[in-house]
Amino acid sequence: MTRFRRRRQGEVNIQSEEVDYKDLDFLKQFIGETGKIVPARISGASAKFQRKLTNEINRARFLALLPYTDQHK
Amino acid sequence: MRHYEIVFLVHPDQSDQVPGMVERYQSLIERGGGKVHRSEDWGRRQLTFIIAKIHKAHYVMLNIEVGKETLDELESSFRFNDAVIRYLIIRRKNAETGQSKIYEEELREQEKDRERDRRREEEIAARRRDGGSGEEGGREAVAEESAE
Repeated sequence: MTRFRRRRQGEVNIQSEEVDYKDLDFLKQFIGETGKIVPARISGASAKFQRKLTNEINRARFLALLPYTDQHK
Repeated sequence: MRHYEIVFLVHPDQSDQVPGMVERYQSLIERGGGKVHRSEDWGRRQLTFIIAKIHKAHYVMLNIEVGKETLDELESSFRFNDAVIRYLIIRRKNAETGQSKIYEEELREQEKDRERDRRREEEIAARRRDGGSGEEGGREAVAEESAE
């Protein structure tokens, strides 16, 4: 069992920055190729930051600014 | 009174009604004693997935400060307006006034379009100028060529 996975350090050094659903280029860093949100254990985001991200990404998704999946259409 | 950020999507066929709609909402807000702090028209954008068989929608964002009754009124007007495909209302802590990232992008795009139009017009004007004064010259050139 791999309890302790190595975090990709340096991925998220911008954690203090405000997250906004309108900043699509920023949010796109945290969605994978399939359109899913990259888990915090991979991206190295703190729990607090990951929560903000999830919130803003879901807002952007609701407005069809970001995809839910790559299976659309 | 509280601060809210509203984004709504308008059906692309009703795109030309957008300025009128925004004006109507603005007067509704002001009548209720509210304030519009920021109003952005993001234009027609591609949707990342199809909503109600539509691929594109006209996005509008408003940052406002209103009381509850006015907000309820606004929301019901969104709900019963068939042109509004989707709307999102978020509470904000304070008034946002700067340009949003998406709007900046849209403005850049518009600037690019304008630049392209200007260049095309210049090109057409230049061609017309050449065509007008240089017509004889052109004919001469052809004559010379055929003489050779």
